[in-house]
Amino acid sequence: METSRQSRTAVAWPWIGTAARLGLAAVWLVAGALKVGDPAASARAVNAYQLMPYDTAEVVGAVQPFLEIALGLLLLIGLSTRLTAAISALLMAVFIAGIASAWARGLRIDCGCFSSGGELAEGVGTAYGVDILRDLAFLALSGLLVWRPRTRLSLDGMLMGKL
Amino acid sequence: MSKGSKERAAKARQIVAEQKARERRRTVTLWTSVAVVVVLFIAGLIGYRTLGGQDDRTVTTPASAVDEGTAFAVGSGPVTVDIYEDFMCPACGNFESTTGPTLKQLADSGKITLRFHPVAILDRFSNGTRYSTRAAAAAAAAAEAGKFTEFHEVLFANRPEENTDGLTDAKILELASGIGLTSKTFTTAVNEGTYRTWVEKATETFAARGYTGTPTIVVNGERLTGPDDTVPDTALLTETIEKAAG
Repeated sequence: METSRQSRTAVAWPWIGTAARLGLAAVWLVAGALKVGDPAASARAVNAYQLMPYDTAEVVGAVQPFLEIALGLLLLIGLSTRLTAAISALLMAVFIAGIASAWARGLRIDCGCFSSGGELAEGVGTAYGVDILRDLAFLALSGLLVWRPRTRLSLDGMLMGKL
Repeated sequence: MSKGSKERAAKARQIVAEQKARERRRTVTLWTSVAVVVVLFIAGLIGYRTLGGQDDRTVTTPASAVDEGTAFAVGSGPVTVDIYEDFMCPACGNFESTTGPTLKQLADSGKITLRFHPVAILDRFSNGTRYSTRAAAAAAAAAEAGKFTEFHEVLFANRPEENTDGLTDAKILELASGIGLTSKTFTTAVNEGTYRTWVEKATETFAARGYTGTPTIVVNGERLTGPDDTVPDTALLTETIEKAAG
């Protein structure tokens, strides 16, 4: 009994990991694609956090969407999943810290997570709590993949041989 | 060969095979990590290079613009009041209807220099038509025709709500003709979007100055806000202007 349950989990894990990897890939691809077309707006979204001078925000705003798309593609094909998941986790931690700091300072901004964000429209409330919870969920997905990076349908799997 | 030595040989082969597999995993991990770092680096570089591209665009700055070519001035009083506005922004609409007339009066009576900075930060709220940019660019064209104040007023009187298409260029031209703006130069500038790159640049200057929202009101170089980071009301603004005038 015990062994059959163990083997069942052993079979299930790579598939759970696969779902996490593809889910996280989708998150990055969508987040990047929604920002990549308008670097000026992306720069303003970063600038709205008031954490760095505008020149720096401009660079971050231009680079970030491309990094997000690249990270999404790498996760999609499953190349060096542990490393890409670790970078994802690091980025999520940075985003959470940024949102928390905007919240703590009483700024009224859109997080710019899945849009070019910036100042909120009139009458729209801030959603810092929801944003942070969502990013925590993404952080958990990343963490899962750092812990168990071997997944099905991945380039890693093809290169390394069977699990 | 004895049975014992056969087993030992099999075991040795297994150990060698495991070592080889481990070796292979290490090599794969190393090279895939290198590949990931290279891919991310290139992606970052592509993003970084888009920055350079923005500086290459040709910007037609309206000749009548002041303050590094970002604003249109009304009046010439001693106190400078800068207003950064997006033509789609509801809070700007409120500000214009409540405080706008007072400011205009102060400018007309020579107490203040009123500088309007049209910016476009709400383009994403006009269903892809980029109304904020189009409206601000049209305002620049109106300024060149000497009718900024009137045009500014009529645009705010007809301010479209967020998440609508905004006013079409045809509608903008129609409103303009209502205030006597019918010149060919103006019409061409609106239809061809002559000043759109200027709007982009002015919006970047706005952000570079550390402002993030509209309306942003600045009196003699100092940003003025009401309690809790709100838009200042007429009373607070006139009081601040009087204080600044000394």
